[in-house]
Amino acid sequence: MEITLGQVLALLGAAMAVFLPGVGSARGVGMVGEAAAGVVTEDPSKFSQTLILQALPGTQGIYGLLTGFVVMQRIGLLGGKLLPLTTYQGLLVFAACLPIAIVGLLSAISQARAAAAGVGIIAKRPEELAKGITYAAMVETYAVLSLLASILMLFGLRFS
Amino acid sequence: MAIVKMKKMYLLGLKKDLDRFLDALQRLGAVEIADIEEEEGGSSKITAELSDLDTKLSRLKFAIEFLRPYAKEQNPLFYGRPKVSLRKLREISSREGEIFEIVDAIYGFEQRFSRLKTEEGRIGNQIELIKPWGALDIPVEDLGTTGRVDLKAISVPKKNFKALLDKLKETDLPLEVIPVGESREENLALAIYHRSARSEVQELYKEFSVNTEEFNGFAGTPAEIVRKLQERLEAIEVERKKIKEEIAKLADRLMDLKAFYDYWLLERQKKENLQKMADTEKIFVMKAYVPENSVESVKKAVNSVTDAVHLAFEDPAEDDDIPVVLSNPRLVQPFEIVTELYSLPDPRGIDPNVYMAPFFFVFFGMMVSDAAYGLVLSLLSALALWKLKLAGMGKKLVELLFLGGISTFIWGMIFGSWFGDLIKIKPLWLNPLDNPMAVLYLSFAMGLVQIYTGIILSAYKNIRNGKVADALMDQGLWLVFLTGLIMLAFPSMVGMAKYIALAGAAGLVLTQGRTQRSLIKKFTSGLLSLYNVTSYLSDVLSYSRLLALGLATGVIATVINTMAKMLGVNIVGYIAMIAVMVGGHIFNIAVNALGAYVHSSRLQYIEFFGKFYDGGGRPFDPLRMKTEYLDLEDF
Repeated sequence: MEITLGQVLALLGAAMAVFLPGVGSARGVGMVGEAAAGVVTEDPSKFSQTLILQALPGTQGIYGLLTGFVVMQRIGLLGGKLLPLTTYQGLLVFAACLPIAIVGLLSAISQARAAAAGVGIIAKRPEELAKGITYAAMVETYAVLSLLASILMLFGLRFS
Repeated sequence: MAIVKMKKMYLLGLKKDLDRFLDALQRLGAVEIADIEEEEGGSSKITAELSDLDTKLSRLKFAIEFLRPYAKEQNPLFYGRPKVSLRKLREISSREGEIFEIVDAIYGFEQRFSRLKTEEGRIGNQIELIKPWGALDIPVEDLGTTGRVDLKAISVPKKNFKALLDKLKETDLPLEVIPVGESREENLALAIYHRSARSEVQELYKEFSVNTEEFNGFAGTPAEIVRKLQERLEAIEVERKKIKEEIAKLADRLMDLKAFYDYWLLERQKKENLQKMADTEKIFVMKAYVPENSVESVKKAVNSVTDAVHLAFEDPAEDDDIPVVLSNPRLVQPFEIVTELYSLPDPRGIDPNVYMAPFFFVFFGMMVSDAAYGLVLSLLSALALWKLKLAGMGKKLVELLFLGGISTFIWGMIFGSWFGDLIKIKPLWLNPLDNPMAVLYLSFAMGLVQIYTGIILSAYKNIRNGKVADALMDQGLWLVFLTGLIMLAFPSMVGMAKYIALAGAAGLVLTQGRTQRSLIKKFTSGLLSLYNVTSYLSDVLSYSRLLALGLATGVIATVINTMAKMLGVNIVGYIAMIAVMVGGHIFNIAVNALGAYVHSSRLQYIEFFGKFYDGGGRPFDPLRMKTEYLDLEDF
């Protein structure tokens, strides 16, 4: 089978959609984990509360994987029959991956900062956990929006 | 309904009855005693008693926590807290001396433990220090000086040792160095020299940073010393075991300690409230808040103590710090936790729970949107509610998840998603993967409904406060304007929509600057207020997360299924496939339930509450039988 540049570009897009937000989430979850470990040293009973905050910046990685998966499905990679994409079609797929790839990476880290600060809330005023979560969730909005943009673009593309 | 109306209560009585009043009110648990602003602070006698009580409580608490690991306690999550009757509690509390003997004993054990631990640490260090000398077969008390000859144990940094030996070869000092062994960073040796060489030897020591070991306080060869120390370590372990056995004997007294703690906790709560009252030599005045529906029972409780009392109820004044109690239908109660985690409503504002609950219910389900996941979620929550003894926040949260599961189930049927694409059942409406735009429009529409509700509630709040004109101008005109803008989106209505939008906009420009003084400022701030339309736009767009998170659940579920099915090639593969599916779907449920909870909360907090809600209420915290370890059976 002939491999086209379009296929390479499309796959590159999928790869970016997976690994960039993945890197961001890994960093973010790690950052919050570090902050959380400090609090749990003092009071182990706060583990479950900090865990919620730690999970929040992890979603970008999931969104990225999801987008990558949608690309794979759209270009026929999962069915085992890769579509013969033209260079422009490949670029379209690549472009569609950009929102979640870039916003996912950066928002995960920003969200982790907010969540790590939220861990401080848990340390001093555990009853205000919801406010810490809300601050972190404010950041996530943009990851959700970019995921939506990426997915709508991918569903809008027709290769036939 | 909603926020319970509060009454302010004044109670004037004789001081000799005060304790019985407090007892009665504590049992009733419907009265929050407020501070009467008195010029001079609380009586110093009460302060002293309180701090005395606090010391006792903290000692008891230490003893309880110390004893806990030795007792077999039933997990309160499964069995609830142990129950005790008030009579029993009083009876235990009469044995104060006996109880504090136990507490003292426990402090004694703790001290013995910590002494043993210190000794153990010291011995550990000593062993570490002496062990490398094991090859030295001279009793350490023989080291030192014999008159003519000095016999010393020395340690030399490893990097200097060879240089030292080399130097010794060159000189003809009457000094012999016999290597004995080495520790981690040093070489150990025995130095024998004639005393006439002492000063030269000292010089050498300085040059090569040599230390002499004295073994102060030890006797025998190093190997013997180490053996003895190790024997002592074993003895310490034995002693510790013995202490633990002694403690274990006390374990069945744990219940008494807990009961005692709770008894005094109740006393403390009463005493605390004494400080808030005003008094003279014979009488006292108490100010308190009582929910309106409890007024009658409070009257009865007070009169059951004595008739020599004056009781008055009145409506709280404008500047009173009224506590908040919510009263909602059973179905709405679980949703109260969403508001409670944000902030309780202002006592003079609106309780948002009734309006918020349906939105939260719908949004949560739409974001998870898988029928099978909904069933799992509801079944697990029902199981937890049935089997676990939950109370307070925890119970509300699980109930919320139960309801969320039902909503998820409904949305899953609408979208035809059962474990993603694992079970193929025709959707009631459509699969969002086939037509995401339709679901996106649905999300926006639901967002609009909620935003409109928020604006209308804000208008209602204005009208209730007698500001009808404000309601018309601030909220009414926005509704007109927004409705016009929305109608513009539908081609069939464009004609009329233009005029409605224009009328709304014109009204806003004319009215929104009404607080400004000059005419120009009135006009410019009116015009600028139209800019708020962007905030409404971003509010509506924010609801796109309903689609996005719903899609995310479905697609991740599909990914799990696809990966799992790839494994299904032989027997081992089938087992792995099932493991991947179970693990993957559980993970997906957990992540998406968390996401749905967080994001539907966010939509309430930012997009909905932002429109009308005044938080900052203080929870009603009445004097009541609040215990830490036990549940009271009858009072």
